[in-house]
Amino acid sequence: MRPNILVSVALLVAVVVFGYFLSPDLGSFGITLMSGLFQGMLLFLVASGLSIIFGLMDVLNFAQGAYFMVGAYVSYSVHHSPDVMAAIPDPNIRFFLSVISAVAVGAVLGGLLERFLLRPLYARPIFQIVLTFGVAIVMTEAVEFIWSTTPYSWTVLFSLRDQSFQLFGQSFGVYRLVVIGIGFALIILIGLLLQRTRIGIIIRAGVEDREMVEALGINVRMVFTLVFTIGCAVASFGGAIAAPFLGASAGLANLFLLSAIAVVVLGGMGSYAGTAMGSLLLGLALAVMQVFAGKPQIGLPVLASMTPMMLMILVLLVRPGGLFGKGR
Amino acid sequence: MLRRTLASNWFYVVLMIALIILPHAIGWVSGDSPFGVRGRPVGQSIYWQGILIEVFVLAVLAMSYNLVFGFTGVISFGHALFFGIGGYILGVVLEYTDLTGEVGLLIGIGLTLIISAVLGLVIGMVTLRLRGVYFAMFTLAVAEMFYIFFSRLALTRAEDGFALTELPVWIDPTRSRLTFYYIALALLAATFLFIRRLIFSPTGAVLLAVRENEERARTIGFDTLRFKLLAITLAGMIASLAGLVQVILNKKVGPEVLNVSNTIDPLLMTIIGGAGTFTGPVIGAAGLHLGDRLLRDLVIEVGGASIDIGANWALILGIVFILVVLVFPYGIVGTFRRWRTKQAK
Repeated sequence: MRPNILVSVALLVAVVVFGYFLSPDLGSFGITLMSGLFQGMLLFLVASGLSIIFGLMDVLNFAQGAYFMVGAYVSYSVHHSPDVMAAIPDPNIRFFLSVISAVAVGAVLGGLLERFLLRPLYARPIFQIVLTFGVAIVMTEAVEFIWSTTPYSWTVLFSLRDQSFQLFGQSFGVYRLVVIGIGFALIILIGLLLQRTRIGIIIRAGVEDREMVEALGINVRMVFTLVFTIGCAVASFGGAIAAPFLGASAGLANLFLLSAIAVVVLGGMGSYAGTAMGSLLLGLALAVMQVFAGKPQIGLPVLASMTPMMLMILVLLVRPGGLFGKGR
Repeated sequence: MLRRTLASNWFYVVLMIALIILPHAIGWVSGDSPFGVRGRPVGQSIYWQGILIEVFVLAVLAMSYNLVFGFTGVISFGHALFFGIGGYILGVVLEYTDLTGEVGLLIGIGLTLIISAVLGLVIGMVTLRLRGVYFAMFTLAVAEMFYIFFSRLALTRAEDGFALTELPVWIDPTRSRLTFYYIALALLAATFLFIRRLIFSPTGAVLLAVRENEERARTIGFDTLRFKLLAITLAGMIASLAGLVQVILNKKVGPEVLNVSNTIDPLLMTIIGGAGTFTGPVIGAAGLHLGDRLLRDLVIEVGGASIDIGANWALILGIVFILVVLVFPYGIVGTFRRWRTKQAK
């Protein structure tokens, strides 16, 4: 095995073993593990877009977290809207529909952002970063304008969200398992897309050397728009499937942006495998820290919310290129 | 010599004199004393002094941001960290140690400067060797971490923050606001002169070279990392002073001084005013803050729907900001200057 894979697996095992020793019994260890994987999958949905977009076009999209937030709001309002409720009484089908509409909104907003706001600025990279930061502000403010500043929590449940099963004396929610399953499926699917398809090969080639791809007669601009659209759609999808648990609030944007940035730094900017590994690691580390910091002997719940930032600072100090990065 | 300096800077001199006279002028027009009534901060003059102090604070903050972003070409998303840390240090020194009055104030200011410089140096050392975007991410993360930390820390009363009660009378903005107004104005003038002096010095020339083309500056033989570190450290110290003034004005320290809005505000003000110009950040700060104050209660009717300007001020600002970045990337001052050179030709 290559050293970076070895190191990542070792870290993963260390986190899991630490979590095991923190838990009083197998059941609560299972809960911690599942919560970690669940958070890791949500992180992956935001971080993958961030990483691929950065690798390909050198744009760090500070609005990626805002797309997650928009996804949560759209999915919430479609699911809870009285009109849609009247048209589609079955909550499971309605949830499916709300996720699809969130993805569509995310994709459209992402495509528009790249095509009309970022494209004029490729000659001025500093302003691109500043612009995405501005877009994040506008999206957060617009969401507060449309949906007010009060956070929403998911009230109309559906059978998938409600079901649970018993194991080791603890009840496990089916929905979390489904999200974890979808997350793993997406990791493999996007990986295959990048490895096996023509467009994926162009994207990977663009990450390596953009000019060379252009010299070969490929319209890289089109690929940029496509990748940006997909990246934002995936982030929005993450928000939509997280909403039944986390609800919809403006704070989601910053929370997930910062964690996703930590993931990308941890895994290595522009590396897909690194992003997947980093998401899993950070998700599990978060869940373990939540248990650890919540223990009465420790009594420092702040620690858990500071985990992504501390991890990121550590990685930048020790190995700035990240686990799978090429150095700088 | 003096005459030539005055002739080329008549605008700033006039503005300065106007700002010195202004509290008295407002007091004379409105009939309210600029010193307040029997030590209580009431009246038109006092009200406007408060608003102008806020403008000065934001202008100093924006100028320090401009030193990093506009003159050196480094993007920081963590300026709130320096702004907020200044207030917290002063607050902790005054309220949690035996040092009070002038001694506490001086030690607080000294510690603020030292700690913000150290923070700037450490953050810079870790990330400035890497590509610019790492610095942007890292500062955002560190600032957010401090924000979370201070909003949960029991020592500083977490979310609520704590009030400053042990300020010396002569600086206390509720009792001697006019003195405090002049102190803030002096800080504004000093920052402006300092940054101008710095940029026109040989060091400043290197900073501009780093912004224009870092590779080339390094090839010529400049240790660009050291110059970027200098810019970050100085900007951090100036921003912490702005935070100090803000905290004294409000007589309260709370996690809101570390909030990301204190990063967003100077960024918007710098870009809208004109990044890389001396007056741009000041104009941006004055325009945006006065606009916020004046339009706070304005509600306009558009096609039957009423839009509350004050409540959606941030949204409007954000849209203006995006438009400025796209259409007028040189901001108000930069665009005006370009237009004038074109006219002259």
